[in-house]
Amino acid sequence: MIEQYLGLAIKSIFVENITLAYFLGMCSFLAVSKRVETAVGLGAAVVFVLAITTPVNWLLNEFILREGALAWAGLPNMDLSFLGFISFIAVIAAMVQLVEMFIERFSDSLYNALGIFLPLIAVNCAILGASLFMVERSYTFGETVVFGTASGVGFALAIAILAAIRYKMRYSDIPPALRGLGITMLTTGLMSIAFMTFAGISL
Amino acid sequence: MLRFVSGMIGKFEPMFKDGPLKIAYPAFEAGETFFLGTHHRSTGLTHVRDHQDTKRLMITVIYALLPVLTFAMWNTGYQGFLAEGVQSPSIVSSFLRGAWAMFPMILTSYAVGGFWEALFAMLRKREIEEGFLVTGMLFPLILAPSTPLWVLAMGVSFGVVIGKEVFGGVGMNILNPALTGRAFIFFTYPSMISGSGVWDLGAKSPEFLTGGAVALADGYTGATPLLAVSSAAPGTSAVEALTQAGYSFFDLFVGVIPGSVGETSALAILMGAAVILLSGVGSWRAMSGTVIGLVGVSFLFNLLAGPENNAFMTLPPHYHLVMGGFAFGAVFMATDPVTAAITPTGKWIYGIGIGGLAALVRVVNPAYPEGMMLAILFMNMFSPLVDYYVVQGSRKRRQARLAAA
Repeated sequence: MIEQYLGLAIKSIFVENITLAYFLGMCSFLAVSKRVETAVGLGAAVVFVLAITTPVNWLLNEFILREGALAWAGLPNMDLSFLGFISFIAVIAAMVQLVEMFIERFSDSLYNALGIFLPLIAVNCAILGASLFMVERSYTFGETVVFGTASGVGFALAIAILAAIRYKMRYSDIPPALRGLGITMLTTGLMSIAFMTFAGISL
Repeated sequence: MLRFVSGMIGKFEPMFKDGPLKIAYPAFEAGETFFLGTHHRSTGLTHVRDHQDTKRLMITVIYALLPVLTFAMWNTGYQGFLAEGVQSPSIVSSFLRGAWAMFPMILTSYAVGGFWEALFAMLRKREIEEGFLVTGMLFPLILAPSTPLWVLAMGVSFGVVIGKEVFGGVGMNILNPALTGRAFIFFTYPSMISGSGVWDLGAKSPEFLTGGAVALADGYTGATPLLAVSSAAPGTSAVEALTQAGYSFFDLFVGVIPGSVGETSALAILMGAAVILLSGVGSWRAMSGTVIGLVGVSFLFNLLAGPENNAFMTLPPHYHLVMGGFAFGAVFMATDPVTAAITPTGKWIYGIGIGGLAALVRVVNPAYPEGMMLAILFMNMFSPLVDYYVVQGSRKRRQARLAAA
């Protein structure tokens, strides 16, 4: 049991990294990777939100949306899965708001450190992606918790690495046409090649 | 002689400096410093008192590569003869045949890479950097001898342009250019550099070198030691599988085995390692970290290995050290001062990470029997983050010390 969860965690962090293997969450990955501290902050926030929203969406899918889920309410033929996207998004947005209010109330310093990135997480496609993968691969609840958290860790790792590389590249003499996003995209591609180290590992 | 060269260069200099051939000045400048010592002094805020410039650094690595190169030429020819069923070919004919296969590769690598270097130097109005001297030599050495030249050219182009020049040239790249090119070929033309036929030199040897020997169909199954282990039946230990395939530890150490041209001989690579370490060109921290990482992780696998696991888990650490591209990577790639971590502590972490990952990929990743290349690329990418946190850590300690004082 533990072994299986550990395998899933390693797989979602390294082998199928949500950013470098599926290219999800690119906008914030590229935009918020200028400094290592903010990148790590955003990474932590993403881990937090993913760890909460993926299980909540699992519950939503399991007991309301999927075909036959409403059997407990006496509606065994109901199939609400067409509502998947919109309800997942709604849950994510609500959760992000909740997390934001929670952090603002209890930890002022963390709230200030995260700043605008916290509300921006609501539109991070990695978060929605994780929920959709969870449905597609029909994970159990335990697996969903592990998968959500590990996907977040994978995103945090990737963005921290990119931020450190960009920090180093500040002193590089990059051709003018490529400065900024251009070189960052190329770096992301090379990072994906390096992450291919783990592609093919079966756990 | 030297006076003649210097006279000629002096004569042509105005023509390039502000004459009609101004655009080609970087190429001229590269030629000049190739023959004559540099008389340039550093400008700006840095002042270097040493003669140890980039060129000296790079040429030292080339010297270190000479034993590997010589051995590779002989072994390539020798393996080519074996693949055709010729027993015990002479040393000279093996060497000539290997050289015949390898010279075009080295020439192509230098020509194509040199073209991109010169193009970027002209466009960006810079001097041609000498870093490519090493990359251009390393790149053919990590390929199989039968790699088509156009594939090699593609790999060099990708490695030099995307791996290095877009980041601003020598000293600025994040990933090792030679390995970037190798990884590019590996993922885009997998059939060209893997499979059991790639060590067959057939088409690359003219008749006067082969002595008229005709390639025997299936005369020789050229599985590399790594393939022999990874395809071993479950239950057999790795050493048994190697013995069955006809490889002893001594064979692996000396390197009379099929493999990527420069990677087979741990002995020749050790000679290179001595040159690199004694001259201080490569970091001993990164190198020993790599060895420690590999030995540690493979020893751990040995302890965990059971009869139902794959044969790789039972491979003892000292076999890991001499097999595949590990030795070559540890000596010539992991020590690259540009792409390794910069801080001493970072270098240890970086080295141990490479060794550990290489062992891990060999054992648990069935997709690639050889993990060294990708392990180095991965740690190249990771090293800025390692450095960042090492620097943060020492900064914090320093602040604490200052506050206490």
